[in-house]
Amino acid sequence: MSLRLPLVAVSGLALWVSACQLDKDQKPARPVVHYSLSSATTALGDDGEPLIPESAQAGIAGSLEMLFGTPQAPIYQLLPEWKDEDFDPNWPQYPKGEDGSGEVDPAELVANNQMYWRRQLTAIDAGLWDRVFVQDFTPDLLADWKALCAQTPVEARNEEFKKAARELFENYYPKLSASAELYRQHCLHCHGPEGGGDGPTAPFLNPRPRDYRHGTFKFTAVGKAQPRREDLYRILDEGVTGTSMPSFRRFSQAQLHGLVDYVRLLSMRGMVERSLLATYKEEETLTSGDTIDAYAEVWEKWQKADSKVLTFEGEVPAPTAETIAHGRELFMDAKTGNCLSCHGPEGRGNGASAFAVNPESGKVVPTYKDDWGNEIIPRNLRLGIFRGGRRPIDIYRRIKYGIAGGPMPEAASSLTNEDIWHLVHYVGSLSERPQHKAAHVDHAADHGGDHASEKH
Amino acid sequence: MRYLFALMLLLVPILGVWTFVEADRWQLWFPQNVSSFGGEIDGLFNLIMYMVAFTFIVTEVALAWFVFKYSANRPGKGVFTHGSHKLEMIWTAIPAVALLFIAFAQMETWAKVKFESNFPKDGKYTKEKPIAELWASQFDWRVRYPGDDGTLGTVDDLERSYEFVVPVNTDVVFHLRSRDVIHSFFVPEFRLKQDALPGHTIPVWFRAEKEGIYDLVCAELCGWGHYKMSGRMTVLSQADYDKRMADIKAEWFSNGKEQGQ
Repeated sequence: MSLRLPLVAVSGLALWVSACQLDKDQKPARPVVHYSLSSATTALGDDGEPLIPESAQAGIAGSLEMLFGTPQAPIYQLLPEWKDEDFDPNWPQYPKGEDGSGEVDPAELVANNQMYWRRQLTAIDAGLWDRVFVQDFTPDLLADWKALCAQTPVEARNEEFKKAARELFENYYPKLSASAELYRQHCLHCHGPEGGGDGPTAPFLNPRPRDYRHGTFKFTAVGKAQPRREDLYRILDEGVTGTSMPSFRRFSQAQLHGLVDYVRLLSMRGMVERSLLATYKEEETLTSGDTIDAYAEVWEKWQKADSKVLTFEGEVPAPTAETIAHGRELFMDAKTGNCLSCHGPEGRGNGASAFAVNPESGKVVPTYKDDWGNEIIPRNLRLGIFRGGRRPIDIYRRIKYGIAGGPMPEAASSLTNEDIWHLVHYVGSLSERPQHKAAHVDHAADHGGDHASEKH
Repeated sequence: MRYLFALMLLLVPILGVWTFVEADRWQLWFPQNVSSFGGEIDGLFNLIMYMVAFTFIVTEVALAWFVFKYSANRPGKGVFTHGSHKLEMIWTAIPAVALLFIAFAQMETWAKVKFESNFPKDGKYTKEKPIAELWASQFDWRVRYPGDDGTLGTVDDLERSYEFVVPVNTDVVFHLRSRDVIHSFFVPEFRLKQDALPGHTIPVWFRAEKEGIYDLVCAELCGWGHYKMSGRMTVLSQADYDKRMADIKAEWFSNGKEQGQ
């Protein structure tokens, strides 16, 4: 009993002191963080010494920071010739594209913002100012909103203020630093701070998250070239079925475009780092000219993508029994399609050349590795899950251009576009549910009576 | 001291009831109801809530009264007792009757919402001909519309992630499926919740009576990304719905020339 009072007093005092601390908003200043170099740059040799001397590593890190900024303040260094062209990648093209010529359609963006911020806009219209809730992952909007509120006291807020407030939300497009914040909250735990696909949750995932630093993205419309903005946007918007990448459409279009901006920055940063590393290994020295050259070269690659988009004229051809049958022939033919060597005669992804027996362990292991060094197996075409999309055009692009970074090759030049469409039709028919198959082609002839194993 | 403790115990029912009375004003109560059967479910909820509230107030007041009356400071001698058989019978029988009452009171609504024999049969969408298939997977929702032939599982099926579009004032039946683990389809505004089980195709029906955009969430802890497994339920007028489906179809059969395709 005698101890109780002092204990209560002490804990009360401690509570009071900590409450005072909170009151003062004495948050510690955020430490300045830097992007790390990739493990290829910092690798150690057999003797335990770094392969690249630490001074050179510091040089590369410094160059990269000059070109791309830090995680808290990502910013593109401007090349001198861009100033003449009035080109500034740090500011989205959208505000310039009043005529719709920008990279993002302004009208669509406003409509989407109106939908995304509908609760805030309703609250603004009703004058319920304390209900206008802005999330902390849009720090720039939050700051703008606070500044706007600070200008006008509550009693002086008239129609004009409401209009200004509405415009703030309707025209929102995140700055690079705000997109970096969004990336940190929702992407970093898989894709890593530098986009190296090495976030804390990455080891638990199969397939592993994409490493942006190669500049290679699998599911694009441009084959092996660097992806267009639209390709990256589509991945964020639709997700990648059958993997751990979900759809992020819960964010507004503006936020997704902002994330695309940031992923491009991380990817370019990785590409410049790889290029500088290669130059150093070749020449044993690096000059500032090398850095600018590498930067300009990478930018050129990313800007070129639009010219390689794979499209076709007219409407998507509809499948018929004949086209499916012809597609099947090509699929099986070793000289033209030769799909079966990897995807297997039934399209189950168990083709002979994709697997081999490991002589040491005696186990069957995948033959192929992708560009990132992960083992890779062919897609099972009977599941109806296509990571790059199940649309006819998606499958067409996969077959025609192959898949960047993986063993899926480009279509042989002997295949005409029509042939590729027939292959698309056959591949599509493989994943139709058994009860519908008779309508198109009798698959039972392919492989005896194994229908029992694929009932849904 | 006994006044203080009795008062503190009395504060529990008073504050408890006050939060419920004020909840609506602070928008802490249910979201609006937009489905045809939501009203009945809200009615059942209110019925049970009033029954529980009555019991809660009675027992809390009795507790406060006992603390006040039988305080240790009061003179008098305790009486030892083995309890009252009659009283125990009563407090077993009353809850049993209450539970039976609830069980019968909810039966009709439950059957209406969940029994397949009560699913809409005459409308455009039926159990055999659903509007779409909703796939839950770690961690997103994907909707598969049957396409022009009206049959699911064929090559012309359209697919979109995240957003489930349905027409207003129409009996909608859809198939709920899961690719990996147990998920749960939940639209608070519809008062509708249904688990999705891997390997099962579960038909679900509802009738949305107001156009709008509603949250579709996963209500079953399904893994580390459960928190981000959200979706959108968009209820459109029939004309807008047809237009949206035409857009989805055009995008699906795109030849890649449109910007962003």
